[in-house]
Amino acid sequence: MTRRFAALAALAVVCAGVELVAGRGMSPGVVWDVVNGGGDATARHIFFQLRLPRLLVALGAGASLAVAGLVLQSALRNPLAGPEVTGVTPGAVLGAVTATALGLAGWDSPLAVVLAACTGGCAGAALLWLLAGRGRGDPAQTAVHGVLVSAVLGGLTAMVLLVEPGELGSVVQWLVGTTEGRVWQHWHLLWPWALLWGAAAWLLAGPLTLLRCGDDIALTAGLSVRPARTLALLCAVALTAGAVAAVGALGFVGLLVPHLAVAVFGADLRVSLPGAALVGAVVVCGADAAAQLSSRLPAPGLDSGRFTLPVGALTACLGAALLLVVVRRTPSRTF
Amino acid sequence: MVVLLVASSLCALSLGTPYVPPHRLAGAVLDGDSTLAGIVVTELRVPRLVLALVAGTCLGAAGLVLQEALRNPLAVPEMLGVSSGAALGVAAPLVLTLSLPAAVQPLLAIGGAALGGGLTLLAAGLGRSPSAVLLTGAAVAAALQAALLVLMVMADQLDLQLIYRYLLGSLSARTWDDIAGLWPWLLVAVPALVLCAPVLSVMRLGDEDAEALGVRAQRARLAALAIAVVLIAPVTAVCGPVAWVGFLAPHLARWFNPAAGAVRWLPWSAAWGAAVVTVADVPARLALAPVETPAGAWTALLGVPAGVALMRSGGRGRAARSAPAVGETLHGPRTAASGAADEVPRAGAPDDARREEAGAGGTRFSPSRPTGTEDVR
Repeated sequence: MTRRFAALAALAVVCAGVELVAGRGMSPGVVWDVVNGGGDATARHIFFQLRLPRLLVALGAGASLAVAGLVLQSALRNPLAGPEVTGVTPGAVLGAVTATALGLAGWDSPLAVVLAACTGGCAGAALLWLLAGRGRGDPAQTAVHGVLVSAVLGGLTAMVLLVEPGELGSVVQWLVGTTEGRVWQHWHLLWPWALLWGAAAWLLAGPLTLLRCGDDIALTAGLSVRPARTLALLCAVALTAGAVAAVGALGFVGLLVPHLAVAVFGADLRVSLPGAALVGAVVVCGADAAAQLSSRLPAPGLDSGRFTLPVGALTACLGAALLLVVVRRTPSRTF
Repeated sequence: MVVLLVASSLCALSLGTPYVPPHRLAGAVLDGDSTLAGIVVTELRVPRLVLALVAGTCLGAAGLVLQEALRNPLAVPEMLGVSSGAALGVAAPLVLTLSLPAAVQPLLAIGGAALGGGLTLLAAGLGRSPSAVLLTGAAVAAALQAALLVLMVMADQLDLQLIYRYLLGSLSARTWDDIAGLWPWLLVAVPALVLCAPVLSVMRLGDEDAEALGVRAQRARLAALAIAVVLIAPVTAVCGPVAWVGFLAPHLARWFNPAAGAVRWLPWSAAWGAAVVTVADVPARLALAPVETPAGAWTALLGVPAGVALMRSGGRGRAARSAPAVGETLHGPRTAASGAADEVPRAGAPDDARREEAGAGGTRFSPSRPTGTEDVR
């Protein structure tokens, strides 16, 4: 187990290195100079004020989303309960967009955005909970309802954006999920929030593992199911909201990384929760690096520097492909 | 429903600035371009109304075809990647500033829609369990949506608002030229629809029974998808994917005619689609008076909850009427073979309208209702 953690940590370091080198404007040699304390002022500024916070935000957001997804899937006993298909992410997007449109929060006051996203995420989850018959629906039904709830929330977001068309430009990047232009301010806001709720989730790991086995087993083991599940869901919503406020609606990370994590680390959440955090960080960071590299390649062909591939587009495509594999490889299971 | 359709059409024609009272509409149309009201009505409002009707009809029919062919109440264009694909096909040249002749646009939309739908069906193995198809579709749609968003990120601010409105499905500022481009596609799609309707009602019985009756289920499914693509793509090319109409309209049709089969639901679903889009266009034009909201935003907002509610209440009645439904499918092909599939419900329209009002007033579905439907026919 420690070996797997070590391997993943090494992978994370490699991804982080690639991410630091991948951006435009600095050659790898210059980056190496800066890391060793050299380099001119511009290079140092780019590295410390742009690249480093971007890397950290990507790592933190990936970890938060993965943990949130694993907690959701365990608490709802539903392999398809990612934040995207339970209305949490669309709700958080809606909350943040509404708050910005109403002028309650600006992109200059990120704390209000986090709170609004959190409220929205809770509202989305509550809506699904009401619609799916208060938690006793079967997984497939819940997933279907989740997709529908997400569609409704997406429609609402669209309405808000229509009323405030000025926001559109900044919001579109954020609808797809991007780490472009994230600075220290975002990171300072993200890490305490993610650490707090991540720690809470880890404390809940034991009860959650029981919940994964089913309500009856959990009850027999002496767990009061209802409060434990409510707390777990709260954790998941808070983690998702934090990540969404930081990087936007990053697609499919919360749905598929937990499956990867469980496959690697087993179903004991005390181990697989930190594992999921690590896997999520690696996936988002790697995807971001790949996005940066790939947006450098076609740059001469298209018109110059305008083209940047947001990381969310890459994770959505990768996630969709992986989801297809998952659905195809389990023919006996009726989702 | 006829009342609803007429009322919303009248609203669409008369409300707005300048307000043209309903009794003067005929005069205004006859005046043509000699008066202001005449110009507004003939050049702006009538084409818009026609477009709403046509778009709704196409989307409603396509929704029913998909739902019946995949035997899945949730198989709607939005969830199968068909709509997103078509939208991607249209938006891509807009963003990349390629200038293309207008005639090519529907082709691009068709290409995109076929790509999206085909990808979903391929990935789902041509329709296994309904929710597997649905989830695969959601995944494909999300991937296409991501591609679309990447395009939007690349676009500049002015283009962006244009594309955004288009993506929601807006009917504003469409003229007769836009509608004229639709006719060739409709000429292809309508006969195909009439031909495929009987097959659809056989597909309802399940793959094995359908094969026993001589229908090749896989091919029929592909054909249904192709028809849906041909129906959706031109509409999407003109006014964007008006969201969730393909979901709501078939459910409305089923709710009001629970005992009918696919052959009878098809025209009803098309008519409900037209009604939904026309009704949605009225608040779209007037709610935030000087600014127009896209009609698609309203259908997206109201269509999903309404459709889910209908689906849930319909699901309860389905067990009770499964027997009559099977009998109905045997009647179905005969009706279509006489070439009068479109005409039958309209002939009985006043009768149907009365029954619907009773139904809306809270009449529960009971096993006795199917006999009423038989009487109408």
